[in-house]
Amino acid sequence: MSEERIDIKKERDDGDNTRRDFLKNMGIAAVAGAAALSAVPADAEAKVELAEHLQGHFELMTDGQKKECIERLEKRYTEEFGKKTTVSNAPPVKGVLFGYALSISKCIGCRRCVKACVQENNQSRHDPEIEWIRVLKMEKGNLAFSADKLDKGYPETSALGNHGVQVGGNAYNAVGVSGETEHYYEPDKVPEKDAFYFPVQCQQCEKPACVKACPTQATYRDPNGIVVIDYNWCIGCRMCLLACPYWARRFNWAQPNLPAEDMNPKTHYLGNRPRMNGVMEKCTFCLQRVRDGRYPACVEACPVGARKFGNLLDPESEVRKILATKQVLRFKEEYNTYPKFFYYID
Amino acid sequence: MNFRNNFTKIGFFTLSCLLIGGSIIYQTAYSQDAEQAKKESAAPVTKCFESMEGYTSVSRIENAVPQYGYPNVKCSQTTSGVLWYGDPYDGTKPMGDMPKLKDDTRGDYDSEEAVVKPRESKLNYFECTGCHDGDTVPVPKDKKARAIDAHDDIVENPLEMMHGRGAIWCLDCHSATNRNKLVDHQGNEISMDQPQKLCGSCHGEVYADWRMGIHGKRTGSWVKGGKKRWWVCTECHNPHTVEVNRFDPLKPEQAPELPRGMKKTEHNTEEH
Ligand code: SF4
Ligand code: SF4
Repeated sequence: MSEERIDIKKERDDGDNTRRDFLKNMGIAAVAGAAALSAVPADAEAKVELAEHLQGHFELMTDGQKKECIERLEKRYTEEFGKKTTVSNAPPVKGVLFGYALSISKCIGCRRCVKACVQENNQSRHDPEIEWIRVLKMEKGNLAFSADKLDKGYPETSALGNHGVQVGGNAYNAVGVSGETEHYYEPDKVPEKDAFYFPVQCQQCEKPACVKACPTQATYRDPNGIVVIDYNWCIGCRMCLLACPYWARRFNWAQPNLPAEDMNPKTHYLGNRPRMNGVMEKCTFCLQRVRDGRYPACVEACPVGARKFGNLLDPESEVRKILATKQVLRFKEEYNTYPKFFYYID
Repeated sequence: MNFRNNFTKIGFFTLSCLLIGGSIIYQTAYSQDAEQAKKESAAPVTKCFESMEGYTSVSRIENAVPQYGYPNVKCSQTTSGVLWYGDPYDGTKPMGDMPKLKDDTRGDYDSEEAVVKPRESKLNYFECTGCHDGDTVPVPKDKKARAIDAHDDIVENPLEMMHGRGAIWCLDCHSATNRNKLVDHQGNEISMDQPQKLCGSCHGEVYADWRMGIHGKRTGSWVKGGKKRWWVCTECHNPHTVEVNRFDPLKPEQAPELPRGMKKTEHNTEEH
C-alpha cells in the first residue's frame, strides 16, 4: 500500500521531512518485526503488538486475516495466563434478535449479577475495578412532602422579591424530592424495607447513541442486535462513553488486573477476551455464551429469577411472553435509543 | 520567526511532558494499589449455596468441565453464594412428568429437555421417617393444628404458620403417614423434587407463568427446545415464612469502589 501513497505525499508536501521519515520507518519496522518473529519471545511480543496495531477493522478483514488474528490472540492469551485459551469467532445466530427483560418487582439488589458478569467477562478486578452492571437502589415512590424537609430549599421572599429562587437547604435536599437513588448501598441484608432495585447495564439500543458517536466505527450493532466493540480498533477516545445515556460503558484507565486462576478461558473476539489498557468495554449479553446457545451469566446468577433473556422474533420466547403479559417499561425512552432491555413489573 | 517557532516548540514540548507525565503518574498510582491488592488473593470458596442461603447447596469441583478447565461453580468470597456456573446442569436429573395445564399456555415443557436438581436424595442422610415412623412420633389422627415441640428452627410457632394466613398448617402439605413426601389435597403423595405440583394447586397464576418460563429461574440454554434446568418453587421461596418475606433477606455482594478521591457517598454533608 504505502509505496504509492508515500510518493504522492512526497510530491504534495515537500518540506515535511519528519512525517515522511516517520512513515518510512514504520514500514521498515514492520518488515523487521515480521522477520524477527520466530526467534526470541521478546521480539515475538513486539511483533504481536505491532500486528495488532496495524490490524484492520474486524468486519472488513478477510477470513484468512481473521483466522491469523484469532490464532495470534489465542497464542498470546494462552502464554500470558498459563492456560489453554480459546478465542471464538462464532458468527451471529440466524433469525434472532436478542432481548432482555428484568423484573423490578423481584430484584432484591443482591448484586450477584454484577459479580457473575465480572467472572464471565474477564473484567479488571481492581485498579481499575470494572463492573458492567450497576444496581441502583431507589427509595420507594413517595411524593409525600415530609415535614422535616419543608423548610429546606423552599423559595423565599428576599429583599429583592420572590423570584422562586431556592434558598436554604441545598440541591440535594430540595422540598418534595423523593426517590433518592444510590448504588453504593451496603446494608447487612437485602432487600431493605422501602427500597427497590434497578440494575442498569448496556441496553443494546436499536438506535445506539454510542455507535453514532464512535469516530472509528469500532463499536457497531451486530445482526443479532447486540452492540459490540472491536477492542483492537478502539482508539480510546471515549466518545461513546459520553454519548451513552445509560452509563453503560467502562474504560480501561490502566492495564487491567485479571488474575490468571480466575480468568475465563472461553472467549470470543468481540466478547470477553482480555482487554488492554486504553480501550472501552461494556455488556454484550455475554456474546460468547449466547452465540453458543447459553443464557448470559447474569441470568443464571440471579437468585430470584428476575432476569429473562431470549429471542424477540420468537413469540413463544420468554421475553416476548413478558412483553405480551406484563407491565413493561423502557429506561429513558425519551432519548429514542429504543433499548432491547426491558424492565417489567409483576 | 525563529523565536516564534522555538516558542511553539517549547510550548508543544511542555504540553507533551505534562500529558505524558500525567498519564505516568496516573498509572503508577494504580499499579501501587494493585501491588497491595494482589497480596490478598484468597482460596476459592468450596461450600456454596445456590439460590438462597440454607436451601439447595453445592460443592465446588475443580475441572468439572475439562473442555475449558471449568469448575462446576464459582462462588462469592463475600457470601458463598454461587455466582457462576461452569456446568449449569450439575447434579440434575430429568424433571419427570408434569401436570398439563388446561388452557393454551401449555408452556414449552413438552418440547424441550427439562432437568431439576433432586433434593429428595438429601433425605437419605436424614430421613424424616427416621423419627416419624409411627412409633417414635405417633401418626396424628387428624390434620388439626396443634402446638408441637420440634422443628422450631423451621417454624417458630406452628399455630401461627407464616403461610396461608392461618388457614393451613404442616399436614396440609406434608404427608401425615409418609413424612418423606408432600401430599396434595386429594391425598396423592408428591415428591419433594416436584413441589410445583403442590404449590401450583393454589397458586395457579404463578404456576402458569412458571410453566411458560416467565416466573422463576432457569439455567442452561436460551434456545427454544434446548436443555434447561428448571428451578422449583422451594429452591427460591421458603414456604414456611413466605408470608413475611417473598425471599429470605440475604447479604448483598460487595458494593462497587467509590470514584477515586471520594470517601463516602452521603449527600448533604460537608465533604462528600
Ligand atoms: S446502552 Fe449505551 S452503550 Fe449500550 S447500546 Fe445503548 S448507547 Fe450504546
Ligand atoms: S442478581 Fe437478580 S436480584 Fe440480585 S441484584 Fe441482580 S437482578 Fe437483582
